[in-house]
Amino acid sequence: MTGSSGSGATAQGATAALPAGGALDADAPVVRHVGDTGAHWRRRLAYAVMIVYALLMFVPFAWSLITSFKTQADSVNLSVIPNPVTTEGWNYLFERLDPSLLRLFANSFGIALTVTISNLVLASLAGYAFARLRFPGREILFLVVLLTLMIPDQLRLVPVYLLLNVFGLTRGPLEYLGVVLVMAVMGTNVFLMRQYFLSIPRDIEEAARIDGASFFTTFWRVMLPLATPALSAVAILQFQGTWNAFFWPLVLLTERQYFTVPIALTFFRTEFQTNWPPLMAMVVLATIPILVLYIFFQRYFVEGIAASGVKG
Amino acid sequence: MAIASAARDRRLSTGIGQRSEALAGYAFIAVPMLLFLVLNIGSILYALFISVFQWNIRSGAGAFIGIQNYQNVFKDPIFIRAIQNSLYYAVVWVPLTMAVGLFLAVLVNQKLRGRTFFRAAFYFPAIASSAAVTVLWIFLAAPDGLFNGVRGALGLNPIFSLLGFPPNQNWIGDSHTALNSVILLNAWTTSGTFMLFYLASLQTISGEVYEAAAIDGAGTWQMFWRITFPLLKPGHYFVATVAVIGALQLFDQARIAGGTTGDPANALMSVVLYLYNLAFYKFDFDRAAAVGLILFAIILTLTLIQRRLFGSAPSW
Repeated sequence: MTGSSGSGATAQGATAALPAGGALDADAPVVRHVGDTGAHWRRRLAYAVMIVYALLMFVPFAWSLITSFKTQADSVNLSVIPNPVTTEGWNYLFERLDPSLLRLFANSFGIALTVTISNLVLASLAGYAFARLRFPGREILFLVVLLTLMIPDQLRLVPVYLLLNVFGLTRGPLEYLGVVLVMAVMGTNVFLMRQYFLSIPRDIEEAARIDGASFFTTFWRVMLPLATPALSAVAILQFQGTWNAFFWPLVLLTERQYFTVPIALTFFRTEFQTNWPPLMAMVVLATIPILVLYIFFQRYFVEGIAASGVKG
Repeated sequence: MAIASAARDRRLSTGIGQRSEALAGYAFIAVPMLLFLVLNIGSILYALFISVFQWNIRSGAGAFIGIQNYQNVFKDPIFIRAIQNSLYYAVVWVPLTMAVGLFLAVLVNQKLRGRTFFRAAFYFPAIASSAAVTVLWIFLAAPDGLFNGVRGALGLNPIFSLLGFPPNQNWIGDSHTALNSVILLNAWTTSGTFMLFYLASLQTISGEVYEAAAIDGAGTWQMFWRITFPLLKPGHYFVATVAVIGALQLFDQARIAGGTTGDPANALMSVVLYLYNLAFYKFDFDRAAAVGLILFAIILTLTLIQRRLFGSAPSW
């Protein structure tokens, strides 16, 4: 249970910080000795190190973008400017992929969107019940939710596959449903929503209850709008997690036409061999949707990530 | 406020209010709990069941064979290799990534202009999919890839050849360097995540401690090792636990770079890849279930050891 209690503590910190924003922006204490000349040089050194490390983060992605506009022969050269500049790699992606690029992206978007919506609905319902409604067995059932955080996906691989197989969810288009079911509700999201609901003052919903609103109306009309920051964090992190998901889609989506982008990338890597330009174009394409999310919602990534555990 | 709590008490005192609240509670959690109970708790029990039978993909449970699957797994040299690889990966990757993450966290925790940008930049590789970054690294680490090209251009080849690496070293394709290359790749993607974890932990240290130390004449280096590092204990505990669990689940990069058999020469065979291979290429479901439970036991044991090591659970 230690792992879950650990991530629990961070989830609490992260959610509590969401409405205020910039939780990680508090300053480190500035302690300066009088006449400290070393501080000046330390600052320069810090900048130098940070710039070099930031370059290390960006250069590989920049290189994939550059390579995507090269010819296959040119792709092994170190030149920063492609010679000649060509869209051959991109044409290959748009014209010759099996299944088509459009199909791959539709698969990825469809699954990511469905899983995200399902998590928003189910995790906020369960999170609210565990935070506010009193019913026998609540503590035990919540412990079960925490326990699921400790179970590695790999342990579940064989039993979950066999179970889905019994219901015919491992063949044909029902494979989509199998993948969505396995990721339909994540324990971390239930936890995150519960912690957030706990931080909302009770008076607000008491007032609604006195006015005669039902439990569901109170939840839907009063509490859910107040939980927008937590819902945003769950939505963004879950969409990113599902878009990038590898393990379950690889195991459960067995027919090519149902592949998501990361799974297709894995197979193209073997099929294309060293035809790097289209592979690198695919790397760029696979990353762009998440990059756009990251640029617009950076705060939610940075502050919500502590609750989401670590990706393999 | 007083009126509200009085109303709540009145409502509580009526059995009907209590019962409808309980019913609402069950209705709210019904679907999520069903999924958790079947796909998580149920699946562990099911795995236990499968692992003690001779299992056939078509007919299901055959003869009861007790712990024979577990015994057979440990007799397989490739499984032993997988355990060795996964443990080696954990022993090298966890401290390396924690150290880099902590270093970055301390850097961006300073009052420096542009730190929001640097924080976002350091976390950037973590947002991309494991498939995309692994394919990207295979390209960069290829014999004629960017890495070998840059070290040649910078005149670093004499140093590398001293270490026994030719100018066109195939980093991921050579069994001696494959696992270390994957370690570096994952340190590159995950150090930003650990930076964020440490940053949250750093924020809990009160500035007064530093002021007192500064009055006593402590330098920056001393302050880090005497104050920051020990006070980060809950942070170390959390990051180490998450890291070890993540390390033992190494799969995506091994599967993409090494195929289903962890090529070259099983250098990238991890425990999870072994499990996946058993289930989906050898259709040996009973043995695969046993491997899953062994992995769970290893993770649980290491988590408990870490808890002992770090004392009580984190308080933040």
